[in-house]
Amino acid sequence: MRSGSSAVEVKGLGGGTVRFLPLFLLLPAVAFILVMYIYPFALSIVRSFTDESGGLSLVNYYKAVSLYGRDILFSIQVAILGTLISTVLSLALASYIRLSDSRMARLINSLSRLGIFLPYVVVAQMMRSFLAPHGLLNVLLANMGLVDIDSPLQLFNIRGLTFGFLWKETPFITFIVLSGLQVIDDTYIEAARSVGARTRHIILRILLPMIKPTIAIAVVLTFCTIVSTFTLPYMIVAGNPTTVTVDIAHRVTYFGDYRVASALGVFLYLIVGVMAVYYLRRTVREEVYGY
Amino acid sequence: MWRKFGIVGLVFLLLGGVLQAKVTLLYMTAGDINMLALAQNVLGPMFSERYPEVDLRTIHTGPGDAGSRLIFEKLRAEKLAGKETWDVDVAMVHQIFLTWAMEEGDLLLKYAQDLETWKYVTSPHAKYALGVPVEGYVMPMFHSQTAIAYNPKYVPEPPRSFDELVEWVKAHPDKFGYNGIKGGMSGVSFVNAWVYWKTGKYEKYAITGPFEEEEVANWEPVFKELKEFNKYVTITAGNVGTLDALNRGEIWMGPVWVDMFYTFMLTGKMDPNMRLVLPEPGMPGQPMYFVIPAKARNVEWAEKFVEFVTSPEIQGKVIVEMYNWYPGIDGTYVKDYVSPEAYERLYRDITPEELQVKGLAFPLSPYFKAVLESYEKWVIGG
Repeated sequence: MRSGSSAVEVKGLGGGTVRFLPLFLLLPAVAFILVMYIYPFALSIVRSFTDESGGLSLVNYYKAVSLYGRDILFSIQVAILGTLISTVLSLALASYIRLSDSRMARLINSLSRLGIFLPYVVVAQMMRSFLAPHGLLNVLLANMGLVDIDSPLQLFNIRGLTFGFLWKETPFITFIVLSGLQVIDDTYIEAARSVGARTRHIILRILLPMIKPTIAIAVVLTFCTIVSTFTLPYMIVAGNPTTVTVDIAHRVTYFGDYRVASALGVFLYLIVGVMAVYYLRRTVREEVYGY
Repeated sequence: MWRKFGIVGLVFLLLGGVLQAKVTLLYMTAGDINMLALAQNVLGPMFSERYPEVDLRTIHTGPGDAGSRLIFEKLRAEKLAGKETWDVDVAMVHQIFLTWAMEEGDLLLKYAQDLETWKYVTSPHAKYALGVPVEGYVMPMFHSQTAIAYNPKYVPEPPRSFDELVEWVKAHPDKFGYNGIKGGMSGVSFVNAWVYWKTGKYEKYAITGPFEEEEVANWEPVFKELKEFNKYVTITAGNVGTLDALNRGEIWMGPVWVDMFYTFMLTGKMDPNMRLVLPEPGMPGQPMYFVIPAKARNVEWAEKFVEFVTSPEIQGKVIVEMYNWYPGIDGTYVKDYVSPEAYERLYRDITPEELQVKGLAFPLSPYFKAVLESYEKWVIGG
């Protein structure tokens, strides 16, 4: 094993006790992870199975599902929708930027990075006035005669929320995917062109298959971000249903109820966990073991 | 080279000493961002002007009950850690904080009766917070009230009671907006007012108690009617969401916090023609309180600070004039320090007499939680 060989190398320098040196060096990092991540994580799971008197119970899950079951489904729906659409958009955008050498492509490339650096709370604030019934978008559409301002588009729901996520996540995926595409040598593209491949084929059959692992990483990261974002749904989604993150805050704020909040948290772990398992099985296997 | 370092070090040490001589009063405040601005830009500088040896350092924990929750958790952690002196000198909290703190015990100092300004306090909220006895532990800094804001352009005759309100809403679908219960307290207040109105049991739920499960079980029709009512309303995104929607003309009526409403107006974010009405049987409001932690480092200065802010002068000039809150102390002591315009503005739509009758309290903590869960069960869910 690799760590074993590095231990041997150190041995020559230090003497008898150096076998512990690698472990010792790892200690701060591992301790930090144990205390700051693993402990609260485990605690939240234990808490979710504990009733008021401290006994083992499923009462929190019962409450979580009966009061917030719809919101759990809503969270999954938003995450899938947001991830799917932003991925498709990003792939198209990144391919365009990769294949085109025009000034326009370069402009789009730099503009698209803007969104990456804005925090969600800023995006949410923008979306609030942009998507409102008498907000910028509706007034614009009304002036163009596309919308009646007295019955404007209602966007403080899943549509507006998904739009907000697209606005923020598309640049992020584009950024990652593009960095993968940039690495591909031009000769592949030229070779494909020389045997008559159209742009569509170059993208779908040459470029994207070569960066599958990169795309998978971007998809997993985006999915997890969307599932765990609080500010955007809190500030955008007015009515119900809303996302689980908002419910968690609601439980803690108004009820001081960390048990049901933890149970809701466990549902988020599960949603994210499915993605993580998929990612590990598909991508890492391909990447690491090559099959 | 080393000598240079020595000199620089010495200068820093001396500088540190000089700075140390100044008392730093750590003030932790819950509430909206305006509470931070109030402390940092107004109260802090004013207090330091009067007492140059003190520096007010403000920490803002965030809006709503969540902000108070953080303060509670901080104090509780300090208690559990067994520390001799605690970091926080004085804090500004919501009513709900007191139900947590009094239940936890040993978190707060009983100080209010020692203050010079105690004699100005007449509010019943200084004795009970959500049914919990708190006399001596709290000084109200201000009282904020919810009411129904309306656009007179479309609503020339505002509803004077909840009956009239429901009638109006059914006649004007989607023109009444509120923010449900997950987006801030103005919506929560409206829902509680609905329960008071439908059950007629304000006294029991908010003042005398006791909490009885059977009461909650009887609420199903109350909330089913609210669910029906909700079909005709627009659900807005948060307290500010309601104000914005009103200002943009998306809705014509909706529950708001009176102080936020006037502050929006003064800062040009709200059409100055908008008005307020407090329909029968009234709507809840709440004070925010000064509390001093049991083992605060600078108790004396903390008390001086609270005394300063609850003095008639500051209550008039800052709390009423600048922030449009109802004063924490009795309004009669404040009048001399407020400009007639500001006084008139605050009491124009809702007179002090009306406020006395229709300015309600939030329900006792168990009823409050039951109201929220019933809403989740019967309005959102069932």
